[in-house]
Amino acid sequence: MIEIKHLTKVYKLNKKQMQELHTKNNKKTAVDDLSLTARPGEIYGLLGPNGAGKTTTLRCIATIIKPTKGEIYVAGHEVQKESEQVRRKIGFLTSDIKLDPQFSTDYMFDFFGRLHEVPEQKLKERKEELFTYFGIKEFAHKQIKELSTGMKQKAAIAVSLVHNPDIVIFDEPTNGLDIITARSVMDYLRKLKAEGKLVIVSTHIMSEAEKLCDRIGMIIDGKKAAEGTVEELLALTHTDDLEDAFFEIYKEVKGEE
Amino acid sequence: MRGIGEIFKKEIARVVKDRKMLFSVFLLPALLMVGIMSLTSNLVSNMEEDIDSHVAVIYVSNMPESFQTLLDAGESAYDIRSMKEEEQIKEELKKGEADLWIEFPENLESQVENYREGDRIPQVKVYYNPSEDYSSAAYQEISGQVLEGYRQMLLQNRVGNLEQLTVFTVNSDNPEMVVQDDKKANGKALGMMLPYFITILLFAGAMGIGTDMIAGEKERGTMASLLVSPVKRSSIVLGKVFALMVISGISSLIYVVVMVASMPLMSKAMAGTESGMKMEITLEQGVMLAGILIALAFLYSTLIILFSVFAKSTKEASTYVMPAYLLVLVIGLMSMFTSKAPSSETYFIPLYNSAIVLKGILSDEVTWMQFASTLLSNLALGAVLTGVIVKAFERENVMAP
Repeated sequence: MIEIKHLTKVYKLNKKQMQELHTKNNKKTAVDDLSLTARPGEIYGLLGPNGAGKTTTLRCIATIIKPTKGEIYVAGHEVQKESEQVRRKIGFLTSDIKLDPQFSTDYMFDFFGRLHEVPEQKLKERKEELFTYFGIKEFAHKQIKELSTGMKQKAAIAVSLVHNPDIVIFDEPTNGLDIITARSVMDYLRKLKAEGKLVIVSTHIMSEAEKLCDRIGMIIDGKKAAEGTVEELLALTHTDDLEDAFFEIYKEVKGEE
Repeated sequence: MRGIGEIFKKEIARVVKDRKMLFSVFLLPALLMVGIMSLTSNLVSNMEEDIDSHVAVIYVSNMPESFQTLLDAGESAYDIRSMKEEEQIKEELKKGEADLWIEFPENLESQVENYREGDRIPQVKVYYNPSEDYSSAAYQEISGQVLEGYRQMLLQNRVGNLEQLTVFTVNSDNPEMVVQDDKKANGKALGMMLPYFITILLFAGAMGIGTDMIAGEKERGTMASLLVSPVKRSSIVLGKVFALMVISGISSLIYVVVMVASMPLMSKAMAGTESGMKMEITLEQGVMLAGILIALAFLYSTLIILFSVFAKSTKEASTYVMPAYLLVLVIGLMSMFTSKAPSSETYFIPLYNSAIVLKGILSDEVTWMQFASTLLSNLALGAVLTGVIVKAFERENVMAP
């Protein structure tokens, strides 16, 4: 289970960033008092435009950055106090985390397996399963720098799941993938859910969220603007599809300002 | 602890698996060093040979017959030119077209022959151009050997037996004149250069890989994958520091071996030092050397990693590390040219003390106390820096900007 309680993340901007954003305020609130709960056996989607605070939220959950205010519990462990325990429980994938291009997928898989203290036999089984599922075997021994974008993404997904984590956090998992690979990734996330795992993804692709997610949290300007199943969101906004629902909510939030 | 080992292994594998990296870290600098050394020594000996084989162009005014006979009898060939105007000769000397002008006084022979006590002593004037290699070589030879021989000859003519004029000689028959501790003398020549090269090469070897290990990983986005794995930040830091230590240690060891092996090449270039270039190291010296090198490798690795942590790219990291490298260069130079015995407090100044102690170990002049304080102060500073690096790893604006 992931419980986010009143998460606020404020970045300090340097002079260059202030100039770029045309602001004189040296602080930027990326996430503003966000609370949500995601449970095992569901796929929770963070939906929002670029810069809404989705990735920041996921990075806070993954202990890469620290919340300015609020608390996050991952499988009962608080991210700041027990960050190592949290990292044991999660598999985290984002486009700015990459695998070392000098090594092969096979090497990186073993390397992270050992860092996660996966027993040797178990590691072999996991490799067989994941490499087969994602069709990695044919390029497993090639250096990662020689792989195509799609292959790299598949490799990164497999490596992030090496320790069979209970909680899977994927930031825009289908970004840069062709439709066939994207479909297989989405299928795998459903499989994880069926195994009782908690999957939390961020996306700005409405159709993906609509098909994949059990519940959706709409994030606008760092705040949770709405939350619920697709049906609930459609009913709330009296719309027929998620894109229209999103724009209704977006207008409402922006109209308030 | 498990994390340290895994990360260490991966960093080593990164270098070992990459042929280009292997070549550029371990082999290229060694090859370059040998290449530069043999090139300089060749150039120097070529130059010397060229000067030796050059036939000096010499003007002689008022040449005495006996001098002409002496020149003809001598082994060296000279191009004796017929006299010109004084100004013209000086101009040729300046341009390097002529090498020497010997101006004898008129009737030198009769002046010498008819000399009485109280008469003015005749003077031979030799003009040369010290900024021309040929000219100064000719001057050395003519004034030092040929004219000296001529003087002896004329003197002998006057007094008959030269031995009457010799009161005593210095070391004309004393093969044991040099009294020194050979071990110490060997070490002195080695001790002057080796510590300098060792410290610099150790740092240089660690620099490229160290910046890549941290800043490069940040740049490529691979650091974040380590940061979300269940490994302590301190384990990541230590794994990398140890790997860098080993890599730079091995590379500096290769350089030292290559350097000692190519000593004959070097000594050819630096004439006069070849007698001191024998490598004889006792077990005690070896233990001390190894200890200091390990401590230095550790300290340098932490220094380089510390600078790299705050950089966003390898390029930025190299810029940050450069001042530290210059500092190491200057400290090396300082130790190379300090002859005064260092005070005991000096042995507690990290970096500097290691250069002095290395020098001391090689010339067999160091005490275990000095060795221990050097070892400990360097290790302590390295440990402090490691602590700072771990703290920096925990700061998100440093690691995940």
